[in-house]
Amino acid sequence: MHSSRVYKGIRGEGVFRAATIGALALLCLFFVGILASLFTYTDWGTMAKTLFSREIFLAIRLSVTTATIATFFAVLIGIPAAYAISQTEFPGKSVVDTILDLPIVVSPVALGAALLVFFNNPVGMGIEKYFLRFVFEVPGIVLAQFTVVSALSVRLMKSTFDSIDPRYEQVGRTLGCSKVSVFFRVTLPLARNGLIASCILTWARAVGEFGATITLAGAMKPKTETLPVAIFLSLSTADIEKAIAVIITLVTIAACSLLVLRKIGKKGYPA
Amino acid sequence: MIEIRDMRVRLGKFTLRDVNLRIREGEYFVILGPTGSGKTVILEAIAGLCRIRKGAIFINGEDATNMPPERRRIAYVPQDYALFPFLNVRENIRFGLKKGDVNREETDRRIGHLAHLLGITHLLERPVGNLSGGEKQRVSLARALATAPRILLLDEPLSSLDVSTAKYLRLELRRFHDELGITTIHVTHNLMEAEELADRIAIIDKGNLEQVGTREEIFLSPCNETVSNFIGTPNILSCEKCSDLGHGLIEAVCGRMPVILPYEGAEVRKIALFPRDIYVSVVKPPGPQLNRFRGIVRDIQPFSSLARLKVQVGDNLLLTEMPKTAMEEMAIEVGQEVYLILKIRGIRIV
Repeated sequence: MHSSRVYKGIRGEGVFRAATIGALALLCLFFVGILASLFTYTDWGTMAKTLFSREIFLAIRLSVTTATIATFFAVLIGIPAAYAISQTEFPGKSVVDTILDLPIVVSPVALGAALLVFFNNPVGMGIEKYFLRFVFEVPGIVLAQFTVVSALSVRLMKSTFDSIDPRYEQVGRTLGCSKVSVFFRVTLPLARNGLIASCILTWARAVGEFGATITLAGAMKPKTETLPVAIFLSLSTADIEKAIAVIITLVTIAACSLLVLRKIGKKGYPA
Repeated sequence: MIEIRDMRVRLGKFTLRDVNLRIREGEYFVILGPTGSGKTVILEAIAGLCRIRKGAIFINGEDATNMPPERRRIAYVPQDYALFPFLNVRENIRFGLKKGDVNREETDRRIGHLAHLLGITHLLERPVGNLSGGEKQRVSLARALATAPRILLLDEPLSSLDVSTAKYLRLELRRFHDELGITTIHVTHNLMEAEELADRIAIIDKGNLEQVGTREEIFLSPCNETVSNFIGTPNILSCEKCSDLGHGLIEAVCGRMPVILPYEGAEVRKIALFPRDIYVSVVKPPGPQLNRFRGIVRDIQPFSSLARLKVQVGDNLLLTEMPKTAMEEMAIEVGQEVYLILKIRGIRIV
């Protein structure tokens, strides 16, 4: 009786293990299959020629530059914002937390459209006229990317600050550091790996941003043609080879980012 | 000197109520209490790490109630030591030495002196992640002392160490204190730690400061049931006769019980024995029958995990303590004959 129950338990464990690993294998196969299918549409020669074309070079340069600037601003405002939401108690904190989550769950096209509407109201028009032009311009790409990725950046950094034991800051204070000094001398070094990882993920997401970018900055060759916009434009003109070359470029950038991220992840401080 | 007047601190649902305390200059003061009693909260309040709702804290006569922690010159060693993992041992110790205040030579001299005092000179260039618990404790202590603080706060500094390291470091802590003369406030839930280290002890429970006094006052005259339940009421035995056995041992006869204890003096009037220092057995213990007595169980008081037994030995009714499971295994009942073994280190002369 007892041994049959044990046997059933072991068999049940085996079935559960097979089911979970099967689901994982299926998902991996699905993604690998999609990527592999790209190579059935083109040959290496055509792809290499397209990859090294001036248009793709400009698209890569524009994507990398705008994503880097957007990430810089997202991190610049993200670090203090994430620290505030992680370490400070204030009335309406849950409301602020929800507002910060909105750009992550709302469609990027909707965010881009909201930005477009903003630049059609008097304040937005004033900014456009006297400060900087965003609509259908390169700064528009940066703004669109920033709008989409800044919330993600804050969310990632918040989880990094959440994971830091407040004891470290307390000890820092008793060792003579002010609140500001302890942030720079204790908290930031402790959060370093997490912050770098957040930056990489934010940057990778910015490089791949499409919806808000095309809505606010348009799709003008080569002025506002980022890599995702290039895929869209290529597909709209049935230039499949070019679309595939750009997709592979984007996938390579994403894969490199994730590899760096994994390397950083292994460098965590021992507890 | 530290003076705490009517201090009230509220953290979530926990409230530390109306604490009044005076800690003298150069004193080794231990705050003793069970887990969750509010011991750490008192330390944090003194260090300026939590907000005080009511009352005041004075350090050397100066009102420090609203003073930021960095201006109090109070060093704090937390339970988990909180060594900065991105710095090595030397950099950790140097952390609190401001460049403007102390020059390079003085910094190196101070680090060298503390490293020598704490026996960590060979660890100075090591990353803190590779240190053992005892080494981390010493480094954390060196980092705290490097700033030349007026007060040292130790939060359960020995709780995460193995028994032998903790025992050794207990002696070391007292030695550092005697050598440096710094006012030290040590928080613990360990009675033996408090007894060995403290000049004075404060007992805290459920956010209330129950009693403050010397070791003798606390252990031999607990002021209420809470304190007595926490430390355990001792058995006080009057001695009728004393005889010197030589080799630093004497035999004191207390209520027809001949107790042997280490003592250099001639006469002992009273001895105290905590219930936890008396072992109970249903079989006659082997070996020489020193400090081992036959008695009759007169009363049993079972608690959640513990049982208190009153055992008649000679003219004495001794209170003993044992795990409830052990008592059930031995099937001890009222009226049964048992053997008592007195722990020689637990016998205190009053």
